[in-house]
Amino acid sequence: MSVKALVSRPVIRRLSALAAIVLAAAGPACARRQAAGPSNDLLVVAYDREPDTLNRFSTHILEDIETCIVEGLTTTDDKMNVVPLLASEVPTLENGGVRLRADGGMDVWWKLRPGVAWHDGKPFTSADVKFTVEALNNPSYKPESTDGFDRIASVETPDPLTAIVHYREVYAPYAIQFVRGCFPRHVLAGRDIDRATDYNRNPLGTGPYRVAQWRTGEHILLERVPNYWRGGGMPRIKRILFKFLANTNTRINQLRSGEAHLTALLPWDKLRDVEQVPGLVVHRMMGNAYEHITLNQKSVPAFADVRVRRALAHAVDRRMLTRTILNDLAPVIDGPIQPLSWAYTDQVRRYDYDPGRARALLDEAGWRDTGRDGIRERDGRKLAFTLITQAGFTIRENIAQAVQRQWREVGADVRIQLQDGTTISARWFEGRFDAMLHWWQMPSDPEMTLFFAADRVPPAGRNINYLRDEALTQVLYASDRTVDLVERRRLLQEAQRRIAELAPEIPLYNITRLDVVPARLRNFRGNPTNTGIFWNVHEWEIGR
Amino acid sequence: MSTPRVRRVRPQRAAGRVAAALLLALIVLAAAAPAIAPYAPEALDLAHRRAAPSPGHWFGTDELGRDLLTRVLFGARVTLAVGLLSALVAAGVGVTVGAVSGYAGGFLDSALMRFTDAMLAIPRLPLLMIASAVVDPSVPLLILIVGLAGWMESARLVRAEYLTLKEREFVAAAHAAGARSARIIVRHLLPGAVPSIVVSMTLAVGRGMLLESALSFFGVGVQPPTPSWGNMLYQAQTTMTSEPWLALFPGLFIFLTALAVNLIGDGLTAGDE
Amino acid sequence: MPRLLVQRLLQAIPLLLIVSLLVFALIHAAPGGPLTLYLSNPNVRPADIERLRRALGLDQPLWQQYLAWLCAFVRGDWGYSYADGRPVLDRLLERLPATLELIATSMALGALVALPLGIVGAVRRHGWFDRLTTVLSFAGISLPVFWFGLLLQLVFAVTLGWLPSSGRSGMGGGGFVDRVEHLVLPAGVLALVHAAAWSRYLRASMSQVLRQPFMIAARARGVPDRTLWLRHALRNALIPVLTVVLLDAAIMVSGAVVTESVFAWPGVGSLFTESLARRDYTVLMAFLMLSSCAVVALGLVADLLYGRLDPRVGGDPS
Repeated sequence: MSVKALVSRPVIRRLSALAAIVLAAAGPACARRQAAGPSNDLLVVAYDREPDTLNRFSTHILEDIETCIVEGLTTTDDKMNVVPLLASEVPTLENGGVRLRADGGMDVWWKLRPGVAWHDGKPFTSADVKFTVEALNNPSYKPESTDGFDRIASVETPDPLTAIVHYREVYAPYAIQFVRGCFPRHVLAGRDIDRATDYNRNPLGTGPYRVAQWRTGEHILLERVPNYWRGGGMPRIKRILFKFLANTNTRINQLRSGEAHLTALLPWDKLRDVEQVPGLVVHRMMGNAYEHITLNQKSVPAFADVRVRRALAHAVDRRMLTRTILNDLAPVIDGPIQPLSWAYTDQVRRYDYDPGRARALLDEAGWRDTGRDGIRERDGRKLAFTLITQAGFTIRENIAQAVQRQWREVGADVRIQLQDGTTISARWFEGRFDAMLHWWQMPSDPEMTLFFAADRVPPAGRNINYLRDEALTQVLYASDRTVDLVERRRLLQEAQRRIAELAPEIPLYNITRLDVVPARLRNFRGNPTNTGIFWNVHEWEIGR
Repeated sequence: MSTPRVRRVRPQRAAGRVAAALLLALIVLAAAAPAIAPYAPEALDLAHRRAAPSPGHWFGTDELGRDLLTRVLFGARVTLAVGLLSALVAAGVGVTVGAVSGYAGGFLDSALMRFTDAMLAIPRLPLLMIASAVVDPSVPLLILIVGLAGWMESARLVRAEYLTLKEREFVAAAHAAGARSARIIVRHLLPGAVPSIVVSMTLAVGRGMLLESALSFFGVGVQPPTPSWGNMLYQAQTTMTSEPWLALFPGLFIFLTALAVNLIGDGLTAGDE
Repeated sequence: MPRLLVQRLLQAIPLLLIVSLLVFALIHAAPGGPLTLYLSNPNVRPADIERLRRALGLDQPLWQQYLAWLCAFVRGDWGYSYADGRPVLDRLLERLPATLELIATSMALGALVALPLGIVGAVRRHGWFDRLTTVLSFAGISLPVFWFGLLLQLVFAVTLGWLPSSGRSGMGGGGFVDRVEHLVLPAGVLALVHAAAWSRYLRASMSQVLRQPFMIAARARGVPDRTLWLRHALRNALIPVLTVVLLDAAIMVSGAVVTESVFAWPGVGSLFTESLARRDYTVLMAFLMLSSCAVVALGLVADLLYGRLDPRVGGDPS
């Protein structure tokens, strides 16, 4: 008699009974859930992360949620134009809003829109503008950045609707100085803003929405404010729920199940998953960012030779990469300034796929395959380097592997290394890498000095190519000091041509945005800049 | 009870033998990958991405048009080495620490167990990130890291078994007969803990194979384009519904390996009956 | 037992000290720091970074930073998060309930499945049921959690529409039913992964115990089978299982990182991932001290339970 024969039958029978009970109990619950579709009552956004803070000046992530609450003096529209928001017009030289002073400084006259009030009913005035500048320049506050604010000497407030900003020097991107809005002086005056949790978690703004609820780790619920200054029944959508869903697949599953209605910046390789979902449309728009490979001349001496850089550019079949791996969703581009920008020019040197030319250039530069192992050498050193890129981005990992193969074809030995985002940032800032595959979001005002001027190599700037070109540097600085648009455009186009000649980095493709929105959403316009898609949320409406 | 026992052991031993043959076959295939793989492991064919299985590509092709069968064969080299050897490292360290701790008791036990606690308390993630920043990733390093990340469970298990076993009569008898501690630990106590150790090891093989793919994420694991079953599976989550074979084949091989190791272990313990 | 308790608490002090020192060194050795995020804005200059470093005390020698942290920590001042400026303790405590809820449910479910599977597997070793569960449990072990989770979402939320795909509650917090519905998938995934492993341990140790002479003797004395298996064998076989269960629990207190991420579960695991990416040193330290305490506490529980299950161990387990 074996041990086993004795127990098992009753046990198994009991198990089956238990399973049956569980299933029976689950039965009634198993009706298909009715996921509420998008409506003017509620729009659910699948958002990729939880904000650290809703203070627009402190946060380190995109300000999508803040955009619905706190309004800037200006904003950037879907054509990348700077348009007035809480200001009644954008100050320019022509309309007299900008005046250059004899001492090299400049004054900007901001005229505020009358009749705008904070959500608590207190009027929005020039005193808030002045307070904001002072708060940001206060060394005890730690905002994400003090761009431009540190060049402001003082703010004058002759009346509640006029703020005169006195800059110490000419500052070309002045028009987007207050794109993040203002602090309410009556709430924050005299306080430690870093620790002002009440404001940072539920900021007082002038925008169409305010925070109704923030459940940590789960979601933020916005509700519309009763008397939005635009009137006209705006905003039309009553509540917007931002769900925090860090995992991309999870986000997509929420869209597919109807639990969420909208998501921004869909990765290209996920398009197939949402295209077919009924009730959703994918809004495609060229972005103001570009993917490129930085070649660090400091760490790889071979990159100091322009022939090597040009050879590497010719060796990459960018058209092939975008056609296959990117499913033709993003166009090939040839420089840092994107076609959307007013400063863009396509009259630059192009590096079409030409492996023959690449080999000839490398031969000319003295890199030859003397060892007959397929890898080129010069002075006993192999043409070998490491390409780093951020882990967890399938497309980027695939692009890196394809580029690796294509470079191998012309005799360069490339090793790929994936790293986590923060490590990449740290190495980026210190210029501690050979080559890097990454993207950069350009500001709507196309300032490039920081990335290409000879004296802006780390730590003084972000010239991580370690390119040192005197002519380019002069043009770039001249463009920074020019407020006149026509002249500034000419200078920036000259800079683009020079950059293309020098090929300090290999531009690959434009970061084209895919935003998934409900098919019934009206007045969605998208936005190519960091302003994000919610810039015109007050106009949104769910149709029938 | 002798008749049923004999009947019972035989099929199990047979299953164990089949499993051993399977594992051996996998190892041989992995070793012979360069000779038998139909394509070069890194040969891209962007025109034929994500092709379904066909006579030309038995397992289909991946995101970059590479032959999946070839990549599974080459992936076996990293995955099997890391999975099997790291489990051995973990078991070796764990059994030693646990046995000494459980048998000795007193101060030594306290010290070793608090050390084990400390190792348990230090999370892997930052450890791995730092490792990736400091050292160059390599397979031996991976084996070591995965192994050293997983020995604590065996240590606790073996100690727990020893605590009960050493109170049994036969240990006292061995002591009385003048046996040395080392002999008691190995000869008299270890066999009692074997079933748990075997389970722990077989589970460690499966976990090790998966942990390797998590490590690639931090730049410690094998870097692309070198394949491993784990990173192939990880990559395939994008195509879960549209091209299931991209996940199916590496997943299947991970499963078969884990199962084979288990059956071998089962066969070994069945032999004790 | 009080003696054991006191002894363990005393041992915990140097342990926590050493772990804190190691962990402190580790997270500071990781590339980047709390200020790395500021770098993503190109207009931030080295001077700004320097100023912030000084303001936050990050420019001091590491040992001084450690001592400062230690002194504050001992006094109960766990500092402020670098990410949002809120007290670290608040951030940790608001995440803990979600994690505890997930652990408790998944472990209970896991045990519920593992116990019968393990027992039947042992007493009917190599029977068809045993073979089937062996194959299934190894499928469970070989399937990565992220995969398993996404698969369940596809089936139960997208295709069938029975359950919410992720999150902990519906809008506004939801009622009890809503909470349970949200809990089913993440807890189910973890429970199955646990059950797969635990049932293997139980099966192995139980079949070992069943072969012991005292079991055979007990049956010869006429002890009924059910009592024999559930009282005597199970009790003895539980020791390794208990070890593993408590170990898993200790590890899970620091969050089931992958499960929480796949199911957007607002527990400490996702806080940890986030804080690690931002190098939020204060949150990381507090979090790691919490997980160390869990390891110590559950280790103690294990030792106490050994004594109860097998009175012979009771004497002096330390």
